[in-house]
Amino acid sequence: MTALSAHLIDEIKALPARYPQPRSAVMPALDLAQEELGYLTPEAMTEVATALQLDAGYVEGVATFYTLFHLEPIGKHRFYMCTNLSCTLRGAEELVEHLRGAIGVHEAGDVSKDGLFSYEEVECMGACEYAPMCRVDHRYHYDLTAEKIDGLVAERRAPASAPVQASAPHPSPAHKRDEDVTSGLLPDGERGASSPPKKRAPRKKKADG
Amino acid sequence: MPDINLTIDGHKITVPAGTLIVEAAKTVGIEIPVFCYHHKLDPVGACRLCLVDFSPGPPRPQTACTTPVAEGMVVRTQSAMAVQARADILEFELVNHPLDCPVCDKGGECPLQDFTFRHGYPTSRIDGPRLHFKKPIPLSDNIALDRERCVLCYRCTRYYDEIAWEQELTVGQRGVQSFITSQFDRPLQSNFSGNIIDLCPVGALTSRVWRFESRPWDMSHTESVCSKCAVGCNTTMWQRRGQLVRITSRENDDIDEGWICDRGRFDYTDVNDPARLRTPTVRGAGRAQGAERQKSTWADALAATATGIKGKGAKLGVSLPADLTNEEAFLFRRLLDGPLRGAKVKMHGRTALAEPPADSMRIRDIDDARVIIIVASDTENDVPIVNLRVKKAVSKRGARLIVVHPDGVDLDRNPHTVHIRNAKGSAAAEVRKLAAHELLQNPGGPVAILYGDGHGSEDAVELAAACAELAGKAGGKLMPLYRATNERGALALGVAGWDALDGVEALLSWGPPPTAGIPASVRFLAAWDHLPRDGYDQAAVLLPATTFAERQGSYTNLEGTVQFLRPPVVINAPLKEAWEVLTELGAALGLELDYPGIFPIQREAAAKTPALAALAQAPSPEPEPGPVLVGPAHP
Amino acid sequence: MAEQRGTVGGPVLTEWFAKADLHTLDVYESLGGYSALRKVVTTMTAQQVIDEVKISGLRGRGGADFPTAMKWSFVPKDHPGPKYIVVNADESEPGSAKDRYLMENSPHALIEGAAIASFAIGGHQAWIYIRGEYDLPYEMLRDAIAEAHAKGYLGDHPFGADHALDVRLYRGHGAYICGEETALLESLEGKRAQPRSRPPFPAVKGAWGLPTAVNNVETLSTVPWIIRHGGAEYASRGTEKAKGTRMVTVSGDVKKPGNYEIEIGVTYRDIIEGLAGGMLPGRKLKVFWPGGSSAKVLPASMLDTSTDLDGLKALGTMGGSGGIIVMDDSHCVVKAAARLLRFYAFESCGKCTPCRVGGNWAVRTYDRIMANEGSQLELGILERVSDGLQNGRCLCGLGDAAGWVIESTMRHFHDEYEDHCLRHTCNVGRALAHA
Repeated sequence: MTALSAHLIDEIKALPARYPQPRSAVMPALDLAQEELGYLTPEAMTEVATALQLDAGYVEGVATFYTLFHLEPIGKHRFYMCTNLSCTLRGAEELVEHLRGAIGVHEAGDVSKDGLFSYEEVECMGACEYAPMCRVDHRYHYDLTAEKIDGLVAERRAPASAPVQASAPHPSPAHKRDEDVTSGLLPDGERGASSPPKKRAPRKKKADG
Repeated sequence: MPDINLTIDGHKITVPAGTLIVEAAKTVGIEIPVFCYHHKLDPVGACRLCLVDFSPGPPRPQTACTTPVAEGMVVRTQSAMAVQARADILEFELVNHPLDCPVCDKGGECPLQDFTFRHGYPTSRIDGPRLHFKKPIPLSDNIALDRERCVLCYRCTRYYDEIAWEQELTVGQRGVQSFITSQFDRPLQSNFSGNIIDLCPVGALTSRVWRFESRPWDMSHTESVCSKCAVGCNTTMWQRRGQLVRITSRENDDIDEGWICDRGRFDYTDVNDPARLRTPTVRGAGRAQGAERQKSTWADALAATATGIKGKGAKLGVSLPADLTNEEAFLFRRLLDGPLRGAKVKMHGRTALAEPPADSMRIRDIDDARVIIIVASDTENDVPIVNLRVKKAVSKRGARLIVVHPDGVDLDRNPHTVHIRNAKGSAAAEVRKLAAHELLQNPGGPVAILYGDGHGSEDAVELAAACAELAGKAGGKLMPLYRATNERGALALGVAGWDALDGVEALLSWGPPPTAGIPASVRFLAAWDHLPRDGYDQAAVLLPATTFAERQGSYTNLEGTVQFLRPPVVINAPLKEAWEVLTELGAALGLELDYPGIFPIQREAAAKTPALAALAQAPSPEPEPGPVLVGPAHP
Repeated sequence: MAEQRGTVGGPVLTEWFAKADLHTLDVYESLGGYSALRKVVTTMTAQQVIDEVKISGLRGRGGADFPTAMKWSFVPKDHPGPKYIVVNADESEPGSAKDRYLMENSPHALIEGAAIASFAIGGHQAWIYIRGEYDLPYEMLRDAIAEAHAKGYLGDHPFGADHALDVRLYRGHGAYICGEETALLESLEGKRAQPRSRPPFPAVKGAWGLPTAVNNVETLSTVPWIIRHGGAEYASRGTEKAKGTRMVTVSGDVKKPGNYEIEIGVTYRDIIEGLAGGMLPGRKLKVFWPGGSSAKVLPASMLDTSTDLDGLKALGTMGGSGGIIVMDDSHCVVKAAARLLRFYAFESCGKCTPCRVGGNWAVRTYDRIMANEGSQLELGILERVSDGLQNGRCLCGLGDAAGWVIESTMRHFHDEYEDHCLRHTCNVGRALAHA
């Protein structure tokens, strides 16, 4: 029994030829493995290593360095919540707290009981003009408020019934999705919408001074 | 290389172009402390401890380990800027260090201690609490890892990747959470893993074989030579209270470049085995086989041995160990020319290779080869440190590599290795075809041809001839890869040890019993060994042997260099040196071997055997300890 | 795409951004796109391209501000075998979003610029290293590259010329340090992204050990405009020493955050009070980061500072990657610094000692301060760590940047630090939430 499917191993074996040197294939290969399994197990990483003719240790070293490789189950939808300075100035910390309640987890990395959700606080994702923002299911979501978070959670909890927020057709190439990258993803609620004037996320007062 | 003139702390010096500042400083006895820098690894500038200040240059301290000297450069290791920078780095190194020096095996020989003493701030400003990691972690049966002590200099992982071409040891995570780890916590498998212990500048990687055995200052050390294979790596052997407690590498750039394999490093505990044989035992005359042997004197035991083996001609077998010294081989030659004439002789672990061709290669010559051809040898296991030398020539000096071997080998780790998988027995034919190989059409420099005997699967004579032909055509030099420690010395002394022992009636087993077992035909067995073993219940005489740690003598390594063993452990009576046992055995057999010590044996062997001329020189004195380098006053 | 927040129809980079579907090759070309590449490969020599860019005075917009033409000219001309342009699209500097803005609006401008740069160094392949979180820009670039290939603008004979050009994509996987060019190269080679010690510089030994020029997205996106309009035209904008225009991202406590194209030399007052609409009602500017979180902070009193890069350098800070983070008087500087130190410590690759240990030591010290456990000791440690991170101690700039955050916030807001450490109060009246 192998961790990765045979056709994926074949795909990984074909990767090194795309690069000037074969080691460059490590990250794309791990990407494929993670896409198939949801996260990277030691067995999967060892199989990637074997397919690329490397020691497993090499692959482990690479996989543990980069934050987008997950070494534990992450839930079907992972909220990457930016809490760096620009987002924090506009209320990101409170939103993270709200998200925890909305998806029912106690801390970053925990997977919700239904297996649908997890979140992590991440560093700046380069969309500071839309702070506070997050990334879910390979798309950015902007000008977050508690209500928007609730919407993002709701439409993922019941994709068939929940109305897609601001579901204007995509005017941009976002609709030209590549099966590799976005297969199985839900429509993005934010993009294409002309955003309402910015609202500050409500700031909670805390007791201790 | 042109020479460069520069000034370091007022010393005007001239060094070859390309010399790094850190090395240039050593020539005038100035210590620039380093953790990540190691002269056998590519510089990385990671630990930042070697910061110095030089002009012309930026107004900031720079790493001495990555900066080559330049004409007219003025280096200041003692400027306030440089001294403070290094002290800052040392302070950082100690922020999370557990400071468990009292129970650390590295304590007393630890660069982190020494550098902090010489270059650090005199007072601590470090507030608790410190970062913690799970520890100690066994990386293998032989090596323990303490992640809290680790300063992440990456010497170990760089060594693994650069020198050994393996990545089973790696760095996990990143930033302050990063740590050294073996791949997915699986035990290290490499035959070269132990070198990371010597490389580690702190107590993060320690030997489990030696863990908590003794403090460094309780040991005495002796410069010796490894006895495990024909490469002849130089070692330092450490003893405490008559026990061999540690073996470390001792850099000799002609041979080992400071690396030893795990066999050489960890395979020594038999020296301290409580079951060691220490007294001769003999089965009384007329007693039946299987009866208990009794303790005896050497004279009685050797007389009984002589009686059992004398005048047997071809009915006598002599089994010899792989690490037979030149001196023992010389004495055996005398015995085999005299009372033991006609005996069949078999040496452990030897190849079928004959004496080396004239002008065979030195190990060092591998460095400059442009094309290296390795035929019929599992270099990783047969000649491990030559295997590393080949890797260096390939990855650091750009040599191309051709391997002729039926199976996958360690050197296949490089994707550019040209591996010709021959059918067993056809290596010579493949070598003949190589003359037309594209890599040999215009090699652009020396070609090195290293050949073994395929562990008996190849016709050694035929293969040697094919390699010689190829060398002639491609302008190459030859290196027969002997396996047994002193195979080449024994060959020079005429003790080939190729005979089969089948059918012998008496057996003198010098060293461990024959690898194929004691032949069923044997009626009389005398063994000289340091441990009891299966089959010795039938021995009529059992003589206690010295080990490599107690033995004087010399080995000729596979390139022909004669090197001397220096015993770190003193033997106590009744244990005797091997040469002494053999001279007394000669006397018991009626052959006068009148040598009052080992030096006369060496002088006579040198006079009779040109290949052993080096034996006439007294062993070189033990190397002087390194100079005490001068550090700065505390900042 | 989401609503564009920033300049459209600006002088150079955003010239065509008002046009719908600019990301398609048809629209891009209809406005004049790819005419620069056509001109370069059919009528110019590599040296002429470098000369034109030299006249423009264009400097690297990733933060290092190094003259682009000079960088290209360092790549050995006679080197046999491949040479590479590597595009740094790993934009991760807190406060900087302008590369994303450029790629999402006009992916072809980057592709055209990268192809021209490849031609200029005598190379054939450009690799765009794009951060893994940038899904949409990645997809847009991928589609745009396919379009350019389909049209024959990339390939063996672009515009019929005999100089093969290709642009390829490589995705990062989450590491700020990949913005550092040698760490990026390590990552591109499939390794842990740890910066290399220099020399050798990438121009000599870069991607896969071969001569390489690493350029930022904005830098290369500017190049087609320079070729179309001439270097002199570009140089006529900006100041004497810092020519042209550049993108800045304004974020934080302003009315209109966005990516603005500015002529270099305007003041931060022009940007923050003008373009970004000023502060929120009832709030006063306290402090701003003039060029990403790694630039030393400037207090409100220095709002009239010019964006001229040499001027910023004279103040000890920098224009960096153009990320202007604005903070008003409702926020605590110590908390902000604590948050940024957490960032630098988390993103430290761990290779060099001061950054690996020092950043984390600072975080633990800030933690105590934010938990009202600060004292004179903590102030002393922060000063020490700040020193120990700077001035050549670290292998790359990340450690220095962490040190600058501590040093500059302590220099300008020592009173706030003293409030926290010595009096256990916070002058903004907000709770001391754990940073």
